[in-house]
This record gives sequence, structure tokens and C-alpha cells, in this order.
Amino acid sequence: MSLSPEERDELRSTARTVLSRSSSSEGVRTAISTELGYDPDLWSQIVELGWTSIHVPEAQGGAGCGYADLVVVAHELGRALTPSPFLASAVLATGALVEADHVDAATAPLAALVAGESVGAVTFASAAGSYEVDQLGVVWSAEGSTIRLDGNAGFVLDADVADVMIVGARAADGSAAAVLVDPTTQGVQIERVPSVDLTRRLFTVTFDDARTPADSLLAEPGPASARLLDRVLALGVVAAAADAVGAAEQALEMTATYARERTQFGKPIGTFQAVKHHCANMAVNVEASRAATRAAAVELDDDPAGWATTADITASYVGPACSEVCGLAMRVHGGIGFTWEHDTHLQMKRVKLDEVLFGSPSWHRRRLADSAFPSLVKT
Amino acid sequence: MLEPGGTLEVLRDGVREWCAAHVPKGWRDQQRGATHSELVEFLRWWGGELRGSGLLAPHWPKEWGGGFTVEEQVVIAEELARGDVPRNALFHVAVFNVAPTLFHHATPEQRERFLPGIRDGEIWCQGYSEPDAGSDLASLQTRAVRDGDNYVVSGQKVWTSWAREADWCMLLARTDPSEAKHKGISCLVVDMHAPGIEVRPIQQAWGPADFNEVFFDEVVVPVENRLGPEHGGWGVAQGTLAAERAISILEMTERLRSHGIEAAIRDASTWRTERGEPAIRDDAVRELLAESYAEVHVVRHVLNQMIDDIIRGVDVGGTSSVIKVLYSEVLARLMQRVTDLQGVTGQLDAGVLACAGWETGFWMNDYIHAFGWIIGGGTNEIQRNVIGERMLGLPR
Repeated sequence: MSLSPEERDELRSTARTVLSRSSSSEGVRTAISTELGYDPDLWSQIVELGWTSIHVPEAQGGAGCGYADLVVVAHELGRALTPSPFLASAVLATGALVEADHVDAATAPLAALVAGESVGAVTFASAAGSYEVDQLGVVWSAEGSTIRLDGNAGFVLDADVADVMIVGARAADGSAAAVLVDPTTQGVQIERVPSVDLTRRLFTVTFDDARTPADSLLAEPGPASARLLDRVLALGVVAAAADAVGAAEQALEMTATYARERTQFGKPIGTFQAVKHHCANMAVNVEASRAATRAAAVELDDDPAGWATTADITASYVGPACSEVCGLAMRVHGGIGFTWEHDTHLQMKRVKLDEVLFGSPSWHRRRLADSAFPSLVKT
Repeated sequence: MLEPGGTLEVLRDGVREWCAAHVPKGWRDQQRGATHSELVEFLRWWGGELRGSGLLAPHWPKEWGGGFTVEEQVVIAEELARGDVPRNALFHVAVFNVAPTLFHHATPEQRERFLPGIRDGEIWCQGYSEPDAGSDLASLQTRAVRDGDNYVVSGQKVWTSWAREADWCMLLARTDPSEAKHKGISCLVVDMHAPGIEVRPIQQAWGPADFNEVFFDEVVVPVENRLGPEHGGWGVAQGTLAAERAISILEMTERLRSHGIEAAIRDASTWRTERGEPAIRDDAVRELLAESYAEVHVVRHVLNQMIDDIIRGVDVGGTSSVIKVLYSEVLARLMQRVTDLQGVTGQLDAGVLACAGWETGFWMNDYIHAFGWIIGGGTNEIQRNVIGERMLGLPR
């Protein structure tokens, strides 16, 4: 059962307190310069607090709440710019296992994720960054008692720290599959690609005759697996939107404070309408994005049939709106906002990655047109 | 008569059935190009239809024939919008602006005096803006000089919707010229049939002439017609409450969602690009329309959040300004996109339809009309000042 509004407020405030202590601006900068790229103690704490399994049913060891509760955490992590495997592991991998049709295959890895014994990652974009099933760069085939994987996947979050990987693949005949893979399997190669967002790490994962047992499929190959991958995509879109809203909200608050305090021409720059209106535009975008993201998460919980449309509407609006907020934050801060020392660029880079990580706004709008204009589907 | 207190599903079905039975078939075609007096006659008739159903003023207290909860009001607004009803423009000020002010600021005697009239179809206008007091409303100069049991009102108001038809005017006038700005203002109810009032119509940029200038020349207004304390009218005028505003915009948004976007998509499926291809098959066209589709959904999400907060008793403060800016600009962007797509074929006069929303099919006119929402009700520039100052704490 989902948390009540009051319980959700409580979760938000706990998360904010924990992260203000353990994920300050300085803490973030320290963490991203380490080899791991995040603070393992904070990650353990996040797991122990149950934030990574809020959305997992109680029967499987989770809190049995909903995605609307999970995004509260995603929002706070975005706000604090926290580097962590939350998006890859708690949202994508855990989400894929919760949503999996083949419960037997999912149970053990899910239990390990919930217990914090392992970290998960999902590979489901092509090397060119497409999430269309027919563009998947990993090809699967059944060979005896194994599934064979060849090809590569791009833009995989946190693959280097993953103990379990869920691989989106297509067969020669085009049918999709979602396959559990142990990343230490022979033939799996993980290579970091340099990302602009310093708070997250991206990898290319290559499969060269990699083998995994035949019972590693999370759903029947074909439409059921394509549907599972699309559901994981929707989870990613909504969680990334929450992350972006968190970061944009923080950018807005920083900017409003700066506009109140910074004086030029003998008065605070916030008195000038040019500046005030930039700030107001930021507030409109943040308010709208926040409402849109909350509504999207509630729809994930309440309307299982509508996930694709929910994701498309969210991705169409929230990323661009939050990016605009970060741009305005930089402008209002002026020269100081254009320095490496200031957090504005960290926010901008994080939000921009959130905007496009699970498909560009433009692609989502085209998908939306195909589904929302049913009588007029392009022929 | 639809009643509050049942399930939302029953209410929804009830409003839907009512719309199916009462919305006149073909009203859009009939009203396209209507004269002002034809428009007024139609809106009077339509207001009467709503009155007979219990749907005219669902937000009023139960003893005045309302008593619907906020959730029920949302259902009614949604279903009226989806039922493709004409806009209840003529009675909107009375029902949504004046009545809530009366409930919050009037004496029981004043309520007994004015509310039955509103319920029975009297028309009200709002005398707020003046030629030299627009965004800076508190600088208004219309004077109300106390003379025993009366005020004597002189001055000029402008942008006064439906003043020619109005029976009453809720007027802001300066009762204490020595006090600074908003401190010396009182709120008076003026009989629009009283001697000394002259009304001159103003035609708006998109065609209709429901706007007016109103001239007051020593108009006598009894003191008992004052709402709230003397010199305390500014607080009275701020009384349009968040819930009513949210519901009004919700109805407009739902119109846009269920008819505006649909109409844009339907029309775009008949248009051709300069290269002779159906516009709706062009990916760029589809992307633009989908972007507006998503934006309209986002406006609705913000409204839902606002309504949830109102129900929970959370302060929605600046959200009224946010929703006004967001809705009006989403609307204007849609109109900009559609008029672009339509190309030069959209520049032919297709006949003004004054009592609909922004889905008349005459997109160029809807485009112009959209600016009315950006300017009216406090310009978006003023709203941005409000957001900056009240929500973000920026200095004035």
C-alpha cells in the first residue's frame, strides 16, 4: 500500500536530512573523485533505510509501497546531486525484477538486491542510444541449455559495480528477451565511457559469445519481453524526471537566495524585473514538473495499462522544463555561476542527462503521437 | 436537479446525461458570426438551462442550492467541459466572483438581498480597472464621497465585461483620498440602472464587444450597499478564492484537453503541407502537436495537485499565479503551433464564435483570443512579480 501524504512528507524530510549531512556539495565532489564514484557508506545507509526496496512487495522483502513513494527518494537524490547506484539498481534492476513475468527467475536476484547484498544494472539501449526494440544491439539465441548473447549495449548506468545485470536483447527473428546475466561471465566486457555528468557513470557493455542458463529469461521471449523492457523504460523515465525536478528545485532555491542577496546598482538584483521574471519562470517550470512527475508516479501505481503514455508525457515535458530552470539559474548567477567551483554546472549536467537518458523528448513525443492520435496513426 | 452527496460516479453519469439532453445540437454552427445581441440572448437562455439543473453554482453553500464538495465540483467541471457546453460567460462574474465575495464579506442582510437575484439570473459586472489603474490597480481614482446614508460615486472604469447587460456592478472606489493607495478603497454594489451611469462598448481585438467603458457621474449608492468595512475594500476584492479559480481553470483546461487538442489533430489531418503531403503524417507536425498534448496534461496535473492541497488544507499561495501563467502560455503555444501548421489557409475569416473556448476551429481567431488570457485577470508579467515576491521572497 502506498504511503499516505503525511508519511510521504516524513520520508521526504528524513531523506533530506540524511542527504544534507552525507551528500553536501563538498561530499559530492569528494565522492565523484574516488575510484568507485560514490560513497559506499551512504549507499549502505540508503539500503538499510529501505529506500531501495520501498516499491518491492512485502512478500519479497520490500516495504510494499509504490512507485509514488520511490520517486520521493529519487527527487531528494537529485536535489542533493548524490552519486549512487540508486537509479540503476533500485529503480531499473529492482523494478525489472518486480515487474518480471517469470517470478522463479526473479526471486533470488531480487532478494539479494533488497538485502543490499548486490547491486543491479540494466542494459537496454543500443550503442546509438535507441530504446526501440528492433534497434537493440545485443542479439540472443537459445543454444542447448544456455542462452547465447552477442553484440553491445550503450549508456549503461553503473555497470562496473553491478553484481547482476538484466540485458535487453533481440533474436535474429526480432523477438525481444530480458535476460539475467552475471557480469563476471566470460565474454562480458564492461568499458567506461566518459560522461559529461560527473555524478553518474556510463558504460558500454559488450557480449561476445556470453552464455547464461536458459532459465534466466524474465519473461517469455517476444511481446511479453518487449513489454517488460518498455515498463522498465517507463520506470526510468519517471525516476529520472523526479531526479531532474529535485535538482531543478535546488537550483531554483539557490538562485532565489542569490537574487535576494547579491546587490548591483545599490539594490538586490531580485528587485529587477528581468531577474525576477527569470526566477518566476523557474518556479513555474519547477511547480509544473513536480506536479507532472508526482502524477506520473501515481499513474504507474494505479494504471498498469497506461505506462507508455505516462512515460511519454513525462519525458516530453519535464526534462526540457528542468533544463531551462538550470540554464536560468546559471544566467541569474552570472559569472560566478559559470565557474567549476559552483554547483550550477553540476545541476545542469545532471538534469540534461536525466532529460535524454531514457530516450530524447523528441522521440517520446513521436511515440506519444502514435499512441495518442490513434485514428490518425501514420501510414 | 443534480444533488450533492451521492457517489462521484452517479454524479458524473448525471452530468453526462444532462449534457446529452440539454446541450443544443449544432450550437457552434448557429452561433458562429452571431451579433452581440444574438450572443447575449443565447447566453441568457443557456444560463437558464444551467440554473434549472443545479449546475450553475455547485460551489455555493448548500443553503443556497450548492453544497457540492471540491471533488464533486471537479467532476461537474470536467463533465460540462467534455459535454461540449457553451461557456457560461454572461453569468460567470456573478456566480464565480461576486457570490464567493458575498459569502465571505457580506452581511446576512446583503446576502439575502443579492444572492437570490444571482440565483435567478441577474447579471453582474466588476468595476475594477481604470484607464490609469490597470496592473497598478491600487492607484484607482474613482471617488465615492460619503453623503449621509449614501456615497456619491464619480469616475471611470474600463474593460468591464457585460456592463451593458449588467444589473449590478461590484465596484472598487476611493473613499479616503488621504490614505495611501490600497488603504483608502471601499467595495460598493452599484445598481447599473441608477441615474448617472453611461456605458460605452469596446470592441476587442478578436471581435466581440462584451467589454465596456463605464462612466459614473454622481451616482448615488446607499451605504448599506458597501461590502466589508469602509476603506477596507481592497481585502474584499482579493476574495476570489483559490478553489474557485482552480475549478474555473480546470474547466478551461478540460475543454482544451477534450476538444481543443482533438480539434487541432482532426484539422491537421485534413491539412496538407506545401509539398502536398498530409500534414499529420509529417513527423515534425506530430511532434509539435504531441508536445502541446503533453503540456495540456501537465496543466491538469498542476490543477489536481492544487486541488488536492486545497482539500488537505495546505496553503496554495502563489500556485494560483503559477497556474494562470502556465495555462495561458500553454494555450498560446498551441495556438502558435496550429496557426503555423495551417499556413496561409488559416488567414481566411472563418467567422467568430464568441461563446466557446479556444477550439472554435477558427484558429487564427483563437490565437488572438489566447492573448486575452495572458493579459486578463492580472497580466502574466504581474503574475510573475507575484510569484517572485510571494513564493520566492524576492524584494519588491
